[in-house]
Amino acid sequence: MDAAELESFREFVDNRSSGLLKTAVLLCGGDRHAGEDLLQNALAKAAGKWQRIDEPEAYVRRILYRQQVSRWRLKWRRREVTVAEPPESRAGRSDAAAAAELRVVMREALSRLTSRQRTVLVLRYFEDLPEADVARLLGCSVGTVRSTTHRSLARLRSIAPELAALRPADAEAQPSRDFSPVEVRR
Amino acid sequence: MNVEELVREALREQAADQRPTGPGFADRVLSARRRRRTRTVATVAAAVAAVVAVAVGVPLLDSGKDDVRPAGVVQQGGIHAHPDQSPPRDLIAAGDAVLAAYYTADNVVKSDTRAVFERTYSLLDPDTGRYEKDTRWSYVAVAPGLKTAAVLERELPARRIGLLDLATGEVERWIPVAHAVGGLAFSYDGGRLVATTYDENPDLRHKETGSAVENGKTAERQMWASSMGSSRTGFSVIDLASTQASWTPVKAERDISARQDFAFGRTGDTVYSQVIGGRDGLQQFYDLTGGKIDAPADERYLRSDVAARLSPNGRLAALGLTKEVAGSPGRSYSSIRDPRTGKEITTVRGGHLLAWVDDKRLIAWERVTSLEEEYRPQLVLVTIGSDKVVPLSGSREESLERQGWEPVFARR
Repeated sequence: MDAAELESFREFVDNRSSGLLKTAVLLCGGDRHAGEDLLQNALAKAAGKWQRIDEPEAYVRRILYRQQVSRWRLKWRRREVTVAEPPESRAGRSDAAAAAELRVVMREALSRLTSRQRTVLVLRYFEDLPEADVARLLGCSVGTVRSTTHRSLARLRSIAPELAALRPADAEAQPSRDFSPVEVRR
Repeated sequence: MNVEELVREALREQAADQRPTGPGFADRVLSARRRRRTRTVATVAAAVAAVVAVAVGVPLLDSGKDDVRPAGVVQQGGIHAHPDQSPPRDLIAAGDAVLAAYYTADNVVKSDTRAVFERTYSLLDPDTGRYEKDTRWSYVAVAPGLKTAAVLERELPARRIGLLDLATGEVERWIPVAHAVGGLAFSYDGGRLVATTYDENPDLRHKETGSAVENGKTAERQMWASSMGSSRTGFSVIDLASTQASWTPVKAERDISARQDFAFGRTGDTVYSQVIGGRDGLQQFYDLTGGKIDAPADERYLRSDVAARLSPNGRLAALGLTKEVAGSPGRSYSSIRDPRTGKEITTVRGGHLLAWVDDKRLIAWERVTSLEEEYRPQLVLVTIGSDKVVPLSGSREESLERQGWEPVFARR
């Protein structure tokens, strides 16, 4: 990297790293240290190709998502995540307190998904990306995104029985079959 | 509220809770890049061990069903196949067994009388899922987890061992060794390396004149032959967490080839190497002080030339070819035995069992030609209790003069 590239890289990191870190931590199931490691690796890779990257943010995000779904590289990052214990009883609690409690339960359940499942949910529900964009980013079919979303939501319910009372989501109405085409690269 | 809405709210709340990155984050990234992400080797070893633990802990029946994989490969049951590619260009894997690398090898002439049988490796780039040629190394062993490979530079025997980060292609750490090394193998848990030590290059070839019958006449023929004896001196065990190496001398006996590397037994407290004897695949075990010992109970019926060895749960032993059935193509069957008694439990398709995918499936070489034609194998996925084979690679050309590509498997 020459001096100009270094300056542009530093400026990008200073401006964008906090936003990118939010996504990275979510991808790592709430583990701040793992999220920082993930982001650091993604930025280091981007630094190596800085002069050739047109859209650095999109590039770094793509590395984040792909690193996270790459099973053998990042599974080891999964550590125990400390979350507040949900109170034993909900009797007499306000709606707001009950909702906060459910969000804690959901965080805990999200941290227990596989990294692939969590990545798809973060892209769909945090980044609000359409299925087709998620598929493009992860290099898989729309059917795979759909079936992974469906399975992940079902898995959240099975991890946390407290979520059973929630209305089913539209995505859960999809059959669990994998829609992805079977093809061989020629 | 439905579950999607709650996921959305929980993720946003969690994101909002994150404090910003510190002021020095750019410097941290840049210095990490300069160091090429030199995590301490202890972390590498811990990571490797953790990956193994996770891989073992995954329920096998569910493996792969939620996978999100790059498009353009066969996407059934965790299988990545490229039956049109030989040697492979794109990821080949099934379940936890991944083709981490492959190599080709050829005699490279160094003088009128000497040549070296040199390997050229192509390593899996985990970012692109493609195999990339890397000519820097004479020997490569890939750790379980596929993050790290142990490498030796071109000149053998080598005075240092590199720990290569497969993601960056850079050596994270060099481990100097007092006794020069010619071959490497990881322990099953990935936490240790056994390095086989030699006095001279174990791949050295000398020009020899032999005789060959050609067109009914005996003719003199020059060939490159390996040394009659071996310069093997022993083995070093290297603990990756501490990088401590301890060397153990083992006398080179007459019943070994010039290159006869050691590998760890399943539990890591023994090593073994092939010995030449009355039948193929004989193995001699040693304790870590270099003393000859009987094979551990679970490994006594294994063959050193069948790489798959014990199944992940340790209850089945992969052995050699037992039957070939005529047809087009011909079908081969290898033996699956009880490791404790040596009794055959069943046979499974495949002429040469290379790696266990899970406790029921293996990757094997299997012929694509009839029994009358020249032997040409491809990598296939085989399943115990099924006659079906799933092609994973294209077929390998073989000849007496030239070795085809050789696969290097590692567990995810």
